[in-house]
Amino acid sequence: MSPPTPLSRADGAAAVEAARVLPAGRCPHCGTAVEGGGDAFCCRGCEIAAAIIRGAGLERYYQERRAFAPRPEPAEPGWDRVAVEPGPDGTVHVRLQVDGLRCASCVWVTEQVLQRTPGVAEATVSYATGRASLRWDPSRTDLPALAGRIAALGYRPRALGSAAAADHDLLARTAVAIVAAVAVMGTYEALYAGWWFGAMDPKFAALFRWLSLVLATPVALWSAAPFFAGAWSGIRHRVLPMDLPIALGVAVLYVQGVAATLGAGEGYLDSLTMLVALLLVGRVLESRGRRRAAEAATALVATIPRTARRVEGERLVTVPVESLTAGDRIDVGAGEEFAADGVVTDGAGQVRLALLTGEAEPVVVAPGDRVAAGTVLLDGALTVRVTAVGNETIVHGMAAQLHLAADRGLAPSAADRIAPWFTAATLVAAALTFAWWYGAGLGVALARTVAVLVVACPCALALSQPLAGAAGLGAAARRGLLLRSAQALLDLDRVDLVALDKTGTVTTGTMTVASADDAALRVAAGLERYSNHPIARAIVAEARTRDIPLPAGTEVREESGAGITGLVDGRRWTLRSGGPGTVSLVDDRGIERIIRLEDATRADAGGTVSQLKRSGRRVVLLTGDHRAVARRIGLEAGITETVAGADPAAKVAWIERARRDGHRVLFAGDGLNDGPALAASDIGVAMGTGAASSVLVADGVIATGSLAPLLAGMRAARAANRVIRMNLRFSIAYNVLAVAAAAAGLVNPLVAAVLMPLSSGAIIWGASRVEAAVRRAEA
Amino acid sequence: MTAILILLPVALVLGGVFAALFVYAAKSGQFDDLDDPPERILHD
Repeated sequence: MSPPTPLSRADGAAAVEAARVLPAGRCPHCGTAVEGGGDAFCCRGCEIAAAIIRGAGLERYYQERRAFAPRPEPAEPGWDRVAVEPGPDGTVHVRLQVDGLRCASCVWVTEQVLQRTPGVAEATVSYATGRASLRWDPSRTDLPALAGRIAALGYRPRALGSAAAADHDLLARTAVAIVAAVAVMGTYEALYAGWWFGAMDPKFAALFRWLSLVLATPVALWSAAPFFAGAWSGIRHRVLPMDLPIALGVAVLYVQGVAATLGAGEGYLDSLTMLVALLLVGRVLESRGRRRAAEAATALVATIPRTARRVEGERLVTVPVESLTAGDRIDVGAGEEFAADGVVTDGAGQVRLALLTGEAEPVVVAPGDRVAAGTVLLDGALTVRVTAVGNETIVHGMAAQLHLAADRGLAPSAADRIAPWFTAATLVAAALTFAWWYGAGLGVALARTVAVLVVACPCALALSQPLAGAAGLGAAARRGLLLRSAQALLDLDRVDLVALDKTGTVTTGTMTVASADDAALRVAAGLERYSNHPIARAIVAEARTRDIPLPAGTEVREESGAGITGLVDGRRWTLRSGGPGTVSLVDDRGIERIIRLEDATRADAGGTVSQLKRSGRRVVLLTGDHRAVARRIGLEAGITETVAGADPAAKVAWIERARRDGHRVLFAGDGLNDGPALAASDIGVAMGTGAASSVLVADGVIATGSLAPLLAGMRAARAANRVIRMNLRFSIAYNVLAVAAAAAGLVNPLVAAVLMPLSSGAIIWGASRVEAAVRRAEA
Repeated sequence: MTAILILLPVALVLGGVFAALFVYAAKSGQFDDLDDPPERILHD
């Protein structure tokens, strides 16, 4: 990774900011103001950090970074106790979370410093997640030393569990099963053709059977092992899971296949390999979804800083956040996150609450106001009396809910519910067959029993859901709704209560100018051109769409709470908040002009809501905003039922109450704060334009900036469910007939060869009708 | 027949090599993070 190239246009504002604060008088590493000017470092830690960076030949970092490094602090003790994962070549591996990485250059320098540490074999740091992956030779360096090196630069390493190991295995098993399944299908086509035309050279037939056996053996013995494990654990816990008929089917099909290769009867190894491959693909998709939910929870807690400045008499002491207790007073400066929940006792400032409320607009806090751990103080300085720390904080509560979502397995599918009956029925049928034919000799009885077990292979049953589900997922995805699992799609059909978040879901989530005259807009845009504030962006964007050239604002100064002042066209202007949804522009003669802003309702919100209602579903607006705003937006979108002023916990409580009342709840939201509500609902749908962690925890994501995909998803769910019900009825009918025929001794190889692909084929055909059914529903 | 006797083992070996490569790649963590690398190119 080379250092980032100079800035793109989007980063222009950040570049201006960096250039303004870089000059002398500040510590070259962390940017703390230093008296006397020059190149003086603020502390020994920064000097060491700079020495490490220069020593590694990475000076470019200082020219190219866009944010100062945090002030270095010694690494916490305990790194020698963190578990590492041994690798194949004597190296060890660990995954870490690195906090404080504020720019691409920060990631680059961390990665390079680690890579240039003797003994390190591999070091990567992810910019998107702050996750580091390290592999090193334990005889040459150790984890405390490596963590110390990250900390010496000013970034803060934290230990992460290693969760990836089980996945590697599953992926490998799946790949082998797919490769073998494709190959076995090919050889079996030759065998089936041979039967059909009845002129196959026995030498070829034998060759192809042996070939199939060679290919199918790793699938049956290795790839299918998770199903055997699942079946075995089911038996030990005295339940009959779906894994049991699958394991039984795989075992019988394989034994039969071996016998066929040795010359006794016919084998069905193609069915075996394809079944295992398709089922494993489903498992891979499911495990990926679960891991994402777990990572979202980790990212959330990462927003809490690790240290706080505690007021002790006249002094400020930096202490680890664990040693804070309720009642302590802590100091928080501009740009810092709160380390604990608390009440402001002194000072004033603006706090961005996006983590909790989803609203991007900063909130002014003053003594008496409550603040929450993990939220950011944008400007000002505060003293806060701590009310809750650690696990008691609001953000920790949210993370705990996300973990619950990660642990929550998928709801049992229709096939899972049928599986115990299916297994029991098959076993009973096999036992009866054996008893019935026992009189005709043990050989005949065994042959008939095996035939019953083979034709009762749960192919059709096990495939009925995944295939129709996949078709439904595809139909929904083409219309803008991406779902995490087929089960999520199928559950969509049963939803009878749709709860919608306001900001970013029913509305577009971005401020737009509702009304302003051109002259006022021009001046305001000149003042705001370098600001990154949502209102500033709205004003500049509106000026651009009206094609108004942006004037250069000079002497522009932004003051917390007081607004922004500066010179445009030689006159002094002040732009400040003029009450909810308005800013007022005042010139040097005191004449005031108003610019009105709003968060507009999405264009398709009204239509979608009315169609949802027409389909018999209740629609509720669930928002943290004020009652009046909620009413207005509800009116625009046609939602009569609104719940206003709901914080994340209240949203969760509301959803849980609705679920207890027997409703099946879909919640759609976009913010980091919506994570718990997304997890608490039966189906959580995130807006793809929203916070990354809400996307990670949701069952589905709307990829387009609209609500209509919800409807499309429900139509796809209805179609897929109908096909699945049909498939289940069909596969049960098929199995009853086939088992009866096998028990009567009527199944010969040719009949089986035609019947088994036909049953699977009918299910594939059913799945292909899902898309057509969705189109009909749309017409 | 001769062609098949040569081609089949060749195909098996080739398939086996690719399967082994994939297993190696999966176990060495190549597929752990499918989201970050596409973004990483933007930071280089």
